[in-house]
Amino acid sequence: MPTFYLDDQAIEFEPGEKIIAAAKRAGIDIPHYCYHPALSVVATCRMCLVDIVDMGNGRPAPKLMTSCSTDAAEGMKILSQNEKVVEGRELVMEFLLVNHPLDCPICDQAGECTLQDFSFEYGSGNSEMEYSKRVYGWRDIGTFVTLERNRCIHCTRCDRFTREITGTNEFGVFNRGHQLTVDTFTDQPMTNKFQGNMADICPVGCITEREFRFKKRAWKLKKTNSICNRCSTGCNITVEEDKNKVFRFKPRENQEVNQWWMCDDGRISYRDYGKNKNRFLQPMGRVKGNLVKASWDQIFEALKSRIADLSPNPNEVVALSDNFASNEELFLLKKMLADVFDSDKIFFPLRAWSQHETAYPIDSLITTDKSPNRAGAIALGLLGDEDDAKLKEALSETVKIAFILGNPFNEDNEILELLAKAELIVYIGTENNHWTEKADVLLPGQTHVEKEGTFTNKNSRVQRSNIAVKAPKETKPEWMILTELIQFMGKDADFHTSRAVFEAIGASNDHFKGMTFDSVGDLGSLLTSI
Amino acid sequence: MLEETLVLFKNVRQPGYSGDLASYQSSGGYSALKKALKMKPEEIVNTVKESNLRGRGGAGFPTGLKWSFMAKGTGKPSYLVINADEGEPGTFKDREIMLKEPHMFLEGYMIGCYAIGCHHGYIYVRGEFVPAMQRLQEAIDECYQSGLLGDKIAGSDFKLDITLHPGAGAYICGEETALLDSLEGRRGQPRTKPPFPAVAGFNGCPTSVNNVETLMNVPSIINDGAEAFKELGPPNNAGTHLVSLSGHVNNPGVYELKMGVNLKDIIYDIGGGILGGKELKGVIPGGSSTPVLRPDEIDIPYDFDSLAKAKSMMGSSAIIVFNEDTDVVKFLYRIVKFYNHESCGQCTPCREGTNWSRLMLRQFVQQQGTPQQLKRLYRVGGNMMGTTLCPLGDACAMPLRAFLEKYPEEFQAHFAEAS
Ligand SMILES: Cc1cc2nc3c(=O)[nH]c(=O)nc-3n(C[C@H](O)[C@H](O)[C@H](O)COP(=O)(O)O)c2cc1C
Ligand code: SF4
Ligand code: SF4
Ligand code: SF4
Ligand code: FES
Repeated sequence: MPTFYLDDQAIEFEPGEKIIAAAKRAGIDIPHYCYHPALSVVATCRMCLVDIVDMGNGRPAPKLMTSCSTDAAEGMKILSQNEKVVEGRELVMEFLLVNHPLDCPICDQAGECTLQDFSFEYGSGNSEMEYSKRVYGWRDIGTFVTLERNRCIHCTRCDRFTREITGTNEFGVFNRGHQLTVDTFTDQPMTNKFQGNMADICPVGCITEREFRFKKRAWKLKKTNSICNRCSTGCNITVEEDKNKVFRFKPRENQEVNQWWMCDDGRISYRDYGKNKNRFLQPMGRVKGNLVKASWDQIFEALKSRIADLSPNPNEVVALSDNFASNEELFLLKKMLADVFDSDKIFFPLRAWSQHETAYPIDSLITTDKSPNRAGAIALGLLGDEDDAKLKEALSETVKIAFILGNPFNEDNEILELLAKAELIVYIGTENNHWTEKADVLLPGQTHVEKEGTFTNKNSRVQRSNIAVKAPKETKPEWMILTELIQFMGKDADFHTSRAVFEAIGASNDHFKGMTFDSVGDLGSLLTSI
Repeated sequence: MLEETLVLFKNVRQPGYSGDLASYQSSGGYSALKKALKMKPEEIVNTVKESNLRGRGGAGFPTGLKWSFMAKGTGKPSYLVINADEGEPGTFKDREIMLKEPHMFLEGYMIGCYAIGCHHGYIYVRGEFVPAMQRLQEAIDECYQSGLLGDKIAGSDFKLDITLHPGAGAYICGEETALLDSLEGRRGQPRTKPPFPAVAGFNGCPTSVNNVETLMNVPSIINDGAEAFKELGPPNNAGTHLVSLSGHVNNPGVYELKMGVNLKDIIYDIGGGILGGKELKGVIPGGSSTPVLRPDEIDIPYDFDSLAKAKSMMGSSAIIVFNEDTDVVKFLYRIVKFYNHESCGQCTPCREGTNWSRLMLRQFVQQQGTPQQLKRLYRVGGNMMGTTLCPLGDACAMPLRAFLEKYPEEFQAHFAEAS
């Protein structure tokens, strides 16, 4: 590969690649605002200046060049730290701050604002502009994001986003000169389903997430890598929390899945966590029609003796799971059914789904398939069909014991009615719902952000979610509940971590052959098709 | 006594010349086109190259060289787009051409299109030039009617259509890439380069953008040859050019002069001296964006290279003369206000710098300047220089710095009482 030198470090580049992009691949961040790898190059902020002392032909560039718009060339020698460059950046910063309100104390972007960062690094700290600053009128642009235009640095990333990424064009640049501003067209509210990304790519606090407004100082948030479980795309995200409370989800770059983006529905699904309003937080058993709290040992003992009393035949035990269960949970549920009851009647809802495709790749994130682990359930050999015929057939026979994981088949009362006849319903999950009304035993599990696990997305990519917040004391992750259940029933299940469960999957299922938490890593890895 | 040299305006200066097709043809018009259509396109490009014709739009870039940069074999159409946006204050010669001698320009344009293989030409005309646009459209219509435009132009196999496109009132759309964006129906803003228009211009196709007057030179180059053209000016500054002379002179107007004549002679011989018999205070030699010259600096040849040597520019050959009564501070304020108003705003130094400079200058105009502010004005101006995406930032900074350097006493006279 051809090579150039940035501050004496050799950097390889693809022909046609811009200096800033090649440097970034080599781990060097040249300060910039308007450049974004997803967007066309406009070279307007003028922040990414570098000094090309040799253009590769022995001659220096006549002036400082913008590294976002200059092609790398073989043998180029570039300085990005010398006095000339620092001075160049300082003067760009001065111009950017001339009209900027510098209201960081009340700005949600503070702490993750590159204007703030670079003004610390390259700013003089005091503005020589002695006139009143530019003020744009307040604009309400509708749904998901807020616009504080006085903070705008006119990088036009937002404009290019609705033009080039969503193709919705509802947002754009108006006026010119120092009155240049961003706004929606014809006073309409924003319409695209990916608006939160505009807040992410806005380098300052001009576009921010309405949801996050004034909620938290960004630098207080701790971030954990995870994936969104709102649909089978499984966008890579960070879960951001403080004091065990989740404040937001942010997309995490994964070129194979979601690039830099996520949809607004997924983004606000953070709201589902930490409320605990409708949640049961202790094991419970039904005594004379009423649910009473119990310890884990008490409940397992009671369960064991009840199962012994019922001594069911294999075909009298079923398990139902939703598509939000992880690969490990499904594996263990299936293992329990097989090892303890010799039953293979484990069902999940398999639903028809479709994928909307357009000329804009971002649209392929949103799918009608709202099940984050449907593909995992299939790969692990769970039973399911589109009209639940197999399940209904199984339920038409005598069912003595039913295990319910999550909230499956909740749209179909017939299944609920059929199952209500079972003599023992064991529910594993987090929230009270119509299953818990019928259940005899409730085992408190944990939410997506409280436990770790792997999920298989619609394109057969296995991805990891991690523990982002501490779970309530009496709850246990589902993989642990199932492991302990198996052990209580006298069978082998020697798993101390979900990592170990996943390795057992890798060792026993050809789709997952050889996979480990480490091999899946932060960006996931594909199932083997067999 | 300096006089005009008539090549471009040889017909225009004839009493009673109407400029319609019949009158142009009866004075030999469109003979160059017929000659050119029998040449190979490369031959024409080479002849223009040899003639040393330099663009009359402001930058003085060699036209033949520009044409030879056009990407070839791309499978895409090539375009020759005409810049008739003429927005630089002080410049009013393209309008004069369109009103008085549209056919000589059109003939040159057709030859140019043939030379670079353009089958659909666009002329981007400044929106305010309504009569000029009408006149030009009439001339185009005449060409279609007489077979000079259309499927087989002038009886050859060459197909050419020409479309007029009015601008919408933005000076920045005179910058060639902003012009192309505007022509494509988008917001007119300069593009970052590369890619250059010669590679990806109009609709992503190889494009050359040229000024009206530049093309008007082509018929005589084809008819009389490159050598004859070169002889009309000093080395490297060939030909005649149309000079817009305005300000405090007795005879303002558009004059055709050989390259390299004395600037002082232009003002005193052609312009008839300073209005009202006053003292000369200064000259802006190439449109409002070019650095001002003091009276002791104007005894120089008027051509691209000589002006560059004098640390100014010939730009679009627009001379603005001002006399001793002129308040230089107000004058500069007006110029900066123009560039501030016309900045497209996309790049940081120009968007913020032109406005900040304007605000500071306004204080001087209001007799509220300070020494510290004078220094700051100079610094802020400098910070716009060479740091912007397109030359509009320079266009504001160059006159700003030059006025401050050359007339410091005038700015000091606008300090507030206390300082
Ligand atoms: C801000 C700005 C405004 C310009 N306005 C004009 C104009 O009105 N007319 C013009 O011919 N060229 C104008 N130019 C120059 C064009 O960009 C371009 O160089 C020219 O049209 C090329 O033609 P030429 O090679 O025939 O001179 C302008 C340039 C800038 C930077
Ligand atoms: S709103 Fe943000 S992203 Fe859009 S132009 Fe302004 S600073 Fe850039
Ligand atoms: S597209 Fe799906 S996975 Fe991605 S953020 Fe939206 S709901 Fe979540
Ligand atoms: S220099 Fe001025 S006019 Fe040119 S691109 Fe930048 S902001 Fe626009
Ligand atoms: S990042 Fe290069 S000019 Fe903005």
